[in-house]
Amino acid sequence: MIITILYYIITAFIALLIIWNFIKSKKWQEEALYIIILIPFLLRLLRLK
Amino acid sequence: MFTSTQIILAVMVVAYIIVKSLKVSTELSMFLAALAGGLAGGVGIPARHIVEGAFTYLDIILIFITATLFMNLLKESGGIAYVIRGILRKFHRRKSILFVLITILLLIPGALTGAGSVTVLITGGMIAVVLEYMGISKPKAAAIIFIIAGLSAAAPPVSLWAMLTAAGVNMPYVGFFLPLLVPCIALSLLTIFILGWRGKPVNLEKAMKELPEAPHRMNWIRIFIPFLAFLFLVVAGRIWPHSLPVIGLPLMFIVAAVITFSLSPVKLNFLQISRNTVHQLLPLIGTLTCVGILVQIMTLTGVRGLIAITIVTLPVTAVILTLSLVLPISEAVLMWGAAPVLGVPLVLLFNTMGLNPIVALAGMSIIWPLGDALPPTAIIGRLTKDTARMEEPYSQLLKYCIIPAVIIMAVGILMVVFSKKLAFLTLL
Repeated sequence: MIITILYYIITAFIALLIIWNFIKSKKWQEEALYIIILIPFLLRLLRLK
Repeated sequence: MFTSTQIILAVMVVAYIIVKSLKVSTELSMFLAALAGGLAGGVGIPARHIVEGAFTYLDIILIFITATLFMNLLKESGGIAYVIRGILRKFHRRKSILFVLITILLLIPGALTGAGSVTVLITGGMIAVVLEYMGISKPKAAAIIFIIAGLSAAAPPVSLWAMLTAAGVNMPYVGFFLPLLVPCIALSLLTIFILGWRGKPVNLEKAMKELPEAPHRMNWIRIFIPFLAFLFLVVAGRIWPHSLPVIGLPLMFIVAAVITFSLSPVKLNFLQISRNTVHQLLPLIGTLTCVGILVQIMTLTGVRGLIAITIVTLPVTAVILTLSLVLPISEAVLMWGAAPVLGVPLVLLFNTMGLNPIVALAGMSIIWPLGDALPPTAIIGRLTKDTARMEEPYSQLLKYCIIPAVIIMAVGILMVVFSKKLAFLTLL
């Protein structure tokens, strides 16, 4: 249980970093890629998958 | 049935080529090719399968990010500079020992993270300086760094090509340690000695001036403790499997990263380094996510099955003889996507022929990274050129890669052919 929680924390931290980088990015290709890679992290955090 | 699947494959290939020619990145090109495949296959834009595909390599992505964060923290704390300066000070007159130690330093970051680009970024620049002051030309130094960076990515514990293919054939990622480690170390040493044999003893004073300074309070203990902690967690899980919970590689790397951060003699901006890590890994994480989506759509539309059947029904001799071309070219086009798309049917083919799938896959895994120097992607090749501050044309780097590349291809193919006799390496 503790390990699962730790993994959720890691996932949330990485999701935050991706969102932060997405906001700061000024290149459309990078932005699009950040959105794509964010999908699994967000869905895992929301426990949708 | 076959014709319709062939049409879908053709649509995907054409979409990829068109998008790529519009200077769109390889990752997005693969994603758009997947969408085109979905449309051509009559399934529209299948959101469920896109999400499913995006999840395929989430565990590997987590390993990737956490391992690179650990290496970046070590670099920012001055640990890497300290190690390189220390080694240089002690062994600058002894070329052979220096070469062996340089090889180890180049192998570690890629072996732990599974990414050759991490090797280039973490230790590549500093090693390039050392090689330059040994009188080795910049293209040769870049070739040494590129080849060893590629082998470091194939080296255990994290070899993405082997992991992705093994996952694709439902084979546990077990028994790969020695089949990957032995050729990677041997070929790396061979590369540095072949390309650098004319190198002279290092001009210590000049090299030290150019290398970044290490913090005064940095020492070997601060560097070794995080590695020992990581090693302990890896080994402890195997020694006491019933007493310790399975914590997984990402958490092990996080523990090592936190220890590195706590022991750093200089104050580190954890958030900034973490952000830079994600930015640095964007092309690689993007590739893995998009490859997952591409493979999922290929499976949905039957294209993956078509490729698998085509490969499995080809003459075996032709398959083995063309591995040296097919694997690097597929890597150049699909990057790691080559492993689940081509690696899976190849391993299934070798398995049905009675070859050892683990050793055969290890042999293929050492050939794949060579494609990272080839267009259209050539991400790691170009990154190495920049890191080594090479001003000569890119073709110079490729020229010096030829001899080691031919040896690596030969060894890889021999590993496939004699995989049954080499099965003892798996320790299974």
